[in-house]
Amino acid sequence: MAQTANILGPARNRVDGRAKVTGAAKYSVEFTPPKCAYAWPVESNIAKGKIAAVDAKEAQAAPGVLAIISHLNAPKPKEPAAKKERNSGHGIRNEERLPFGDDEVHYAGQYVALVVAQTIEQARYAAGLVRVTFTPEEPLLTMKAAEDKAKKPETNHDEHVQLKKGDVDATLTDSGLTKIEQTYITPTETHNPIEMSGTIAAWDGDKLTLWDATQFVKGVQSIVSRAWNLPTENVRVICPFVGGAFGCKGAVWPHVLAASMAAKAAGVPVKFHVRRQDMFTSTGHRTPTEQTIALAATRDGKLRAMRHVTNTLTSTVGEFTESCGARSTGVMYDSPAIRVEETVFPVNVSTPTFMRAPGECPGTYALECAMDELAVALKMDPVQLRLANHADNHPIKNVPFSAKHLRECYQVGAEKFGWAKRNAQPRSMRDGGLLVGWGMATKTYPAHKMNAAAKVILRADGSATVQCATHDLGTGAYTAFTQISSEQLGIPFEKVTFELGKSDFPFGPVAGGSNSTATVGTALHEVAGLLHNALAQLAVKDSKSPLYNEKADDITMVEPGRIGLKNAHAKSDSYIDILRRAGRDSIEVQSELKEPEENKKQSFQSFGADFVEVKIDPLLPRVQVTRVVSVINCGRVVTFKPARNQIIGGVNMGIGMALMEATEYDPQTGLPVIRNLADYHVVTNADAPVIDVTFVGEPDFAFNPIGCRGIGEIGITGAAAAVANAVYHATGKRVRDLPITPDKLLDIA
Amino acid sequence: MNPFSYTRAVDPQQATSVIGSNASAKILAGGTNLIDLMKMGVERPTQLVDINRLPLTQIEELPNGGGVRIGGLARNSDVAEHPLIVQRYPVLSQALLAGASPQLRNLATTGGNLLQRTRCYYFYDPAFPQCNKRQPGSGCGALNGFNRIHAILGQSEQCIATNPSDMNVALAALDAVVQVQGAKGARSIPIGDFHRLPGDTPNIDTNLQADELITAVDLPAIPFATRSHYLKIRDRASYAFALVSVAAVLDLQNGKINGARIALGGVAHKPWRAQKAEAALQGQTADEKTFRAAAEAELAAAKGYKHNSFKIELAKRAIVRALSTAAAMA
Ligand SMILES: Cc1cc2nc3c(=O)[nH]c(=O)nc-3n(C[C@H](O)[C@H](O)[C@H](O)COP(=O)(O)OP(=O)(O)OC[C@H]3O[C@@H](n4cnc5c(N)ncnc54)[C@H](O)[C@@H]3O)c2cc1C
Repeated sequence: MAQTANILGPARNRVDGRAKVTGAAKYSVEFTPPKCAYAWPVESNIAKGKIAAVDAKEAQAAPGVLAIISHLNAPKPKEPAAKKERNSGHGIRNEERLPFGDDEVHYAGQYVALVVAQTIEQARYAAGLVRVTFTPEEPLLTMKAAEDKAKKPETNHDEHVQLKKGDVDATLTDSGLTKIEQTYITPTETHNPIEMSGTIAAWDGDKLTLWDATQFVKGVQSIVSRAWNLPTENVRVICPFVGGAFGCKGAVWPHVLAASMAAKAAGVPVKFHVRRQDMFTSTGHRTPTEQTIALAATRDGKLRAMRHVTNTLTSTVGEFTESCGARSTGVMYDSPAIRVEETVFPVNVSTPTFMRAPGECPGTYALECAMDELAVALKMDPVQLRLANHADNHPIKNVPFSAKHLRECYQVGAEKFGWAKRNAQPRSMRDGGLLVGWGMATKTYPAHKMNAAAKVILRADGSATVQCATHDLGTGAYTAFTQISSEQLGIPFEKVTFELGKSDFPFGPVAGGSNSTATVGTALHEVAGLLHNALAQLAVKDSKSPLYNEKADDITMVEPGRIGLKNAHAKSDSYIDILRRAGRDSIEVQSELKEPEENKKQSFQSFGADFVEVKIDPLLPRVQVTRVVSVINCGRVVTFKPARNQIIGGVNMGIGMALMEATEYDPQTGLPVIRNLADYHVVTNADAPVIDVTFVGEPDFAFNPIGCRGIGEIGITGAAAAVANAVYHATGKRVRDLPITPDKLLDIA
Repeated sequence: MNPFSYTRAVDPQQATSVIGSNASAKILAGGTNLIDLMKMGVERPTQLVDINRLPLTQIEELPNGGGVRIGGLARNSDVAEHPLIVQRYPVLSQALLAGASPQLRNLATTGGNLLQRTRCYYFYDPAFPQCNKRQPGSGCGALNGFNRIHAILGQSEQCIATNPSDMNVALAALDAVVQVQGAKGARSIPIGDFHRLPGDTPNIDTNLQADELITAVDLPAIPFATRSHYLKIRDRASYAFALVSVAAVLDLQNGKINGARIALGGVAHKPWRAQKAEAALQGQTADEKTFRAAAEAELAAAKGYKHNSFKIELAKRAIVRALSTAAAMA
């Protein structure tokens, strides 16, 4: 039963919508402090070796040039030598090395010099005049080449990635079971938000202001202040709007520190706007994966063993694990034996990073394709197979999932899609000359909660300003937080102004892992309690208040705009009256930052299901997705419209992953050959089908007082598998290396 | 990007005299290809001659039923929507609409589209040390590199780049004539002689001389061109360059092929006129078997590389489909 009404918040329009469509919304690199100069990078076009010489004479003499930095002369941050100490605060530096730190080249596209000039054109021209010569060495570019250096990390951000439960190997040799084993390959994918990364650095003595396109203002503040060995508060970070990120603005990349170094060298503020082509080498990407999955099940489809072995790449200057198995097979189905292995191969390619659902996204692609192959082997309906293996408990932690409604996702999705009319036989369904395929897959993403604090300023006119150093990546966070603030504080939506994107505000965590709404929402719940208490303190001392002489602790919000006695609601007073009688223009409260309580008795995870239809011309086989039904179980949905947008965007990105996205590299130089939006194909409107989104379930109050679990990433999970499964159903051909471009289907005719 | 001077041409003569006297001057039309390449550091003109104010935007009938003239500055979107083109040369309208995006087509011009340069990664990005087109003698990075979008017909060991245009493919099938004006006068270049195969000089894309301005493109009167079709196969539904494309024009009489004009895109350094296929179709019955035989004849000489061999079969199928579609037209 869909309990939609229970979980859906109001369908608010975006509070920042008007500012965005009119251009009034100012993004980080659109700020221009007085005397601002511009940086342009010079890059390595070899993947490994040493910088032999930097000849900047001609460039130095070019018009407008203020400074040229390289490893020879860059102002060196005085950062702590020990890695542990460098990383003791907040934030992540995916590339461990300092930009211009030495003469080593670790990947093609590495910044080896930076030109600062008065205009961007002058900087670009002069950058072309800097002659850097290299002494190349043989690079490692593939898993095979880096075999000797492969590592098996135990954990990834404190989460175990090598999992073992039951006897997988023995079960996989049991001849009474139905088995499949296949390898699935995904290519490098690049985030490509429309707003490129960029930083403006402005020094004022030993104080530094950074306007930075980031998912983590407090992280940037922490990393940069530690690098320069400055008190944290000496570095201010400003980022009111982000034009998409998908993970590539989560860590601190070389351009951020480089901008601060260049501004120091040039003696003026410096703007370093990363070029689109450098978004393919300098701000991370999703690592390519090679995943081998073995499944064994009884004749009636009960899983007895699952093995998920993943190989991925990382760079030689940063560690990154895309934990595909732990985040898909490790959470999805009820199986007595599970084994997950992850191996990481360091190569001379720039460092990969989080990209929307890191681990879950490629992991669910492989797992959900494997489940489809198992369903075929068992002659079982794919939905039935998944229902037969539904996990009430977390398969590894063995504690119950909280507010899990995955069965309902399958049921509602199948009904809306018309799944019952599916003929299981591949190539059996047609639309004129086109092959029609129906596929489905399960979606999943964990519920993450970090820590945050918030501040409220309530004014006597009944309006409030709420602040937290959180972020809006274009997701609608401004709107969601305005909505939560309004509900929790008891102040009309129109009277709440929510401010974010400044390191001056109380702590907000990285806008990653789909945690922001749950984390900041919890902080807003807490600060609302503080506000109500502060008002109560005023009221109980005010002889004119109906609450005079009551105990402040007995008082709570009884209706929007009023506090009153917990067990005698009629005895109440309004916020405005309390402030006016106290002669106060405003009242201000701020919550404390505390570690979130860990609930070990339950597991918090979102689920969903995608049902996809594709149509394919068998002779000219470009796959067209014609219909998607997506059903999501993610707790409470704070604001319906942006939430629906997130799922639609995620599914479309999954379609892109399935059918067209791939960053290819030149096998000789190690440079990406795909480095612009003409060549890197993401879905266009013509590729994007109608996506029917439904939210089911109940608020997850065991997780947090708002009841929400986050929605930014679950949309992309499973989607590529559902498309790939539909392609199999349409054609009878199983393509196991993404993307499924026309050339891979030529033999289906 | 290098510093350059900017001149706004007041008449065609001035434009040709500037480009005739300064070897590193370039005409600026829509700028959608040139400016991009200047930013990449591939094109390094010292002077730009902006021709956008010149009166070369006409789309009009030539006298005495002689076909249609398209001005060198006519925008791709205007050409695509013009009734003369839509009614008489649907293949050209379809080809233009299959290219780029509406925003780009609003800027892109007929002359600029004819001269747009290859999208070969190794040409487009000077970070790659090898490209004989960009730097003669440096080698071909694509030959042993990532060559999925590269040529299968008419290429050389020096260069396996393709001409990326959709419009040019339709023009090739329509036997268009490029009208140019040089410092010393005007001349006409048949479309088949306009673009070149790479041979040993892949750095030279076309036979246009340094002092010549494209003033117009003439389409001859082809009554049967109403039976024509443009088919583009690409990696996504819109806004992608062709993996393979086909412009097909069929002269059908009582189910027999009286004449066929076929050109292929995405397969060669120039829009590839499929003369072998055309010859194989002459006088035959318009059916799939005939079309397939014609396609086989054309692609017999094709050669693929590590990532693009699929284009050979794809091109054959595209030819069959384009011809079938044209044949089925009312
Ligand atoms: C993202 C993207 C996607 C694209 N996709 C496609 C596609 O799918 N299919 C397709 O066909 N094209 C595509 N294009 C290319 C587009 O069609 C060309 O960029 C456009 O046609 C060039 O025309 P222009 O007027 O802007 O030329 P410009 O950039 O102004 O000029 C190009 C060249 O022609 C010269 N020139 C221009 N006019 C004259 C003249 N009258 N006489 C002499 N020389 C002249 C210039 O000097 C320059 O060398 C795409 C482009 C982009 C950027």
